[in-house]
Amino acid sequence: MHELGIAAEAYRMCRARLDARPDGPFRLERVALAVGELSAVEPDLLRFAWEAVVEDTPDRGAVLEVEWRPARQSCAACGEVKDRQPGSWLRLCPACGGALSVEGGQELDVLRFTCARRAAEAAPSAGGAAR
Amino acid sequence: MTEVDVRQRILAANEAAAADVRARFAASRTLVVNLISSPGSGKTTLLEQTIARLRDRVRIAAVDGDIATERDADRLRRMGVPAHQILTGGSCHLDARQMVAALETARFGDVDLLLVENVGNLICPTNYDLGEDFKVVVLSVAEGEDKPFKYPAIFARAEVCVISKSDLLPHVPFAMDEVLGQVRTLRPDGRIVVCSARTGEGLDDWCALLLERLEAKRAAAR
Repeated sequence: MHELGIAAEAYRMCRARLDARPDGPFRLERVALAVGELSAVEPDLLRFAWEAVVEDTPDRGAVLEVEWRPARQSCAACGEVKDRQPGSWLRLCPACGGALSVEGGQELDVLRFTCARRAAEAAPSAGGAAR
Repeated sequence: MTEVDVRQRILAANEAAAADVRARFAASRTLVVNLISSPGSGKTTLLEQTIARLRDRVRIAAVDGDIATERDADRLRRMGVPAHQILTGGSCHLDARQMVAALETARFGDVDLLLVENVGNLICPTNYDLGEDFKVVVLSVAEGEDKPFKYPAIFARAEVCVISKSDLLPHVPFAMDEVLGQVRTLRPDGRIVVCSARTGEGLDDWCALLLERLEAKRAAAR
């Protein structure tokens, strides 16, 4: 779907929190996202997009972790159907034949991040010639 | 190294805009319907026929999303209702912030039924709440009977599924029972309407559904 836009927004959210802290500057080390089965976001593409997003920033090298959240099919009588293959949809409860509901799988969240203090940028030396 | 808890939805900004739209149309008791489908499923033609049948009964306005041209909004305007075209600049779905801006520009006034025709796309519009009362997924009989399971997210999210172009059934392979079964699996509590905007089949049911939902929204507000 919009992995680049999603990655950029996730980065903006983390960076904004870090920039608001008075005791910085901080560097992002790891960011953990929850991605749901029905969110139309592909984790591998999201990781590629993330690398592109952080490439030209001081957070280059920050690692994106994706926690996959499956949708759940549940029967009112028997509870969650455990043996569903990813991407498959069952019509009826395999145990009792009852109707199944779908829950979850909509997650698209920034869960947490880790950061470390980084050295402030050195001031450019006076008189340096551009090459 | 410090760990910071965030737990925030990435689409939070869009959802806040959608909440604004929803609140506005709750106050005005306007039914807002978000139509989603692949390109060419017949959304605009369905809306033309909807307007033709309902414009003397309820006040209608439309918002159309496309990456290029104003053709869809022009078609709906020719049916005698105000219609605003959002040109998304290449974005493959409408989002709530675009809706807020469009409503500000369009200044529709008092409306009973706001028809939102999303950009033709079965994937991306699914997760962008526009502040609608419900989503409608439109699937034409020319698209094959495997589409609901291939695109489960939108068929699970949409409360109503319209199976369009039923006049083509004698000419195309389309196992209706298979499709109905897939849609009901993904959305057991949903409504399905089979119709043809060309012959009029099913359009009474479709229009009745809209009026029923509008009445339910008004009743809930009383």
